[in-house]
Amino acid sequence: MSTAAVVVAVGSFALGALLALLMIPVLVWLERRGAGLVQDRMGPDRANISGFRLGGLVQSFADVIKLVYKEEYYPAHIKTGRRLMMLSPVITFTAALLAFMVIPFADTLVIGGEALRVQPLPVEYGVLWYLAVGAVGVVGIFFGGWLSHDKYSLLGSVRAGSMMLGYELPLGLAAVAMILTYNTIDFNEMVRWQSGTLFGFLPAWGVFVQPLAALLLVITLFAETNRAPFNVAEGESEIVAGPYTEFSAMKFAMYFMGEYVAMNTASAVIITMLFGGYQLPWVSTRSMLEHFDAFAWATMALLPLATYGAIRWMRKNNRVRPTVSTDGGRGFETKVLTAALIAMTAVVEGALLWVSLLPEGATAAATAVALLQIAVFVAKLMAFNLFFILVRWTLPRFRYDQVQHLGWYYLLPLALLNLFVTALVVAGGA
Amino acid sequence: MDRNVKVVPRRGGETKERLYLPAIYEGIKVTFRHFFKNISDITAVDTLAYPEEQPADITERWRGLHRLTHRPDGSIACVACFMCATACPAECIFIEATERTDGVDEKMPKRFAVDTLECVFCGYCVEACPCDAIRMDTGIFSLTGRRREDFVLEKEQLLSYRGAFGEEDSRAGK
Repeated sequence: MSTAAVVVAVGSFALGALLALLMIPVLVWLERRGAGLVQDRMGPDRANISGFRLGGLVQSFADVIKLVYKEEYYPAHIKTGRRLMMLSPVITFTAALLAFMVIPFADTLVIGGEALRVQPLPVEYGVLWYLAVGAVGVVGIFFGGWLSHDKYSLLGSVRAGSMMLGYELPLGLAAVAMILTYNTIDFNEMVRWQSGTLFGFLPAWGVFVQPLAALLLVITLFAETNRAPFNVAEGESEIVAGPYTEFSAMKFAMYFMGEYVAMNTASAVIITMLFGGYQLPWVSTRSMLEHFDAFAWATMALLPLATYGAIRWMRKNNRVRPTVSTDGGRGFETKVLTAALIAMTAVVEGALLWVSLLPEGATAAATAVALLQIAVFVAKLMAFNLFFILVRWTLPRFRYDQVQHLGWYYLLPLALLNLFVTALVVAGGA
Repeated sequence: MDRNVKVVPRRGGETKERLYLPAIYEGIKVTFRHFFKNISDITAVDTLAYPEEQPADITERWRGLHRLTHRPDGSIACVACFMCATACPAECIFIEATERTDGVDEKMPKRFAVDTLECVFCGYCVEACPCDAIRMDTGIFSLTGRRREDFVLEKEQLLSYRGAFGEEDSRAGK
């Protein structure tokens, strides 16, 4: 194993862990601020470390501290299976985390004739892994709810289990349709397939090739992650908190974080299978490498504009109304962050300039392209997480029987029909 | 059918409504509009940054913390008739009467206390008072304390509050 292979393997693993774990506080913050802004209020904007509040992001870390210091409480009525009950949030969390680990963050790096996958777990059966490991998460919810010895928890876990049965089928069938279309079970190959152009003007994204399967995938993944409008398992207006009722402190936090990791994973799967993954629309990795100079110059031209926009937005919004007596350190924060943003832009510009002046086909160019793809991936991931969040604040929750009805009577037949048509087209075209 | 009966058509049967997706699209349009409008100008979000910003829309009719009014000579207006304590549904007014020796009147309260933890701020005491001696026009909406006893307002404290809307004179008959 060469040095480059080790660096890429460790780097992509670290990136995967960061994207999954560090995304949790960001997503919690995004959820709370997003909910606030949707509902014409502010959301958390008070917590700060000597004036630095990063738009309220600091609140998430304060929440973590609170959860860690909270009393570990075990309900006295739980006599048997307490160990497994404590383990069950870990199962859910781990399953969600592991399922994220097969997402490619950039195209396979070719360094010195060696093909290196930018994927935390460099496997070629990513879709199967995701479907298998992602479905394990419900086991943790089921154990937790059952071992709580509490009827709300039991009801919640029964709901979670039957939801899984009802939605795993259309999810799997929609995924099979995508697999037939792309003729691969490798996420990376799927993204490569999507890097072309469709009908001369559309990017060849899965969502345009297979609109029905795309719709089914998005709907079933919303159900799979137990998020609104399908959060019947938790169903706080009917069954307290469902399977989580008897859990407190970090045990609850594990479930809670597992839910956000699962949402992040679902977003990653959706963009990888349907929205071109780490790829810019219309552009393949090879054309990026061939025309690297053009892309580098375009990035160098666009980046200062983006930074300027971000700074302008921050200067406009990171302040208080004139009627408020003190700005609580926001002015100072804006100054520091402005300087930091300008410095970061300068560093990136310098690096790009240096790489674009290097000779053709250099390792540096390949690395720069991979980094650019990672940036695109993260941007798409955030956009889809935001979509998940905004949908939660848009739609009311389905009634439990409506969810089952939708799953079995509409989504499953539609998925079967879609699979049938796809198979006909693929077999006829081949 | 009676002609006064108005039949409301049942909705939800049309294909467009049964598809559910157009409705989702409409809903998401609304949330996205609010989200992007607010994120482009956060200071315009119409909320109160309490406590740095204080509410400016407290009206004269709003029932705030109680106060005891004064006579034109500055002495207490209350004659300890117990009308407010009788009218009080929360039974939070405690009065001990005593003889008044300064010649202004015959009777006054030795102790006049309002337990604001019991008070439901219904304003019946103000309505019941024949002397306009108790009012709820201080405009004070926030009372904080460290102990329960801090919330039992005694006569001296109630006398120290002033009306927030300049009514001190108007209703005293001037």
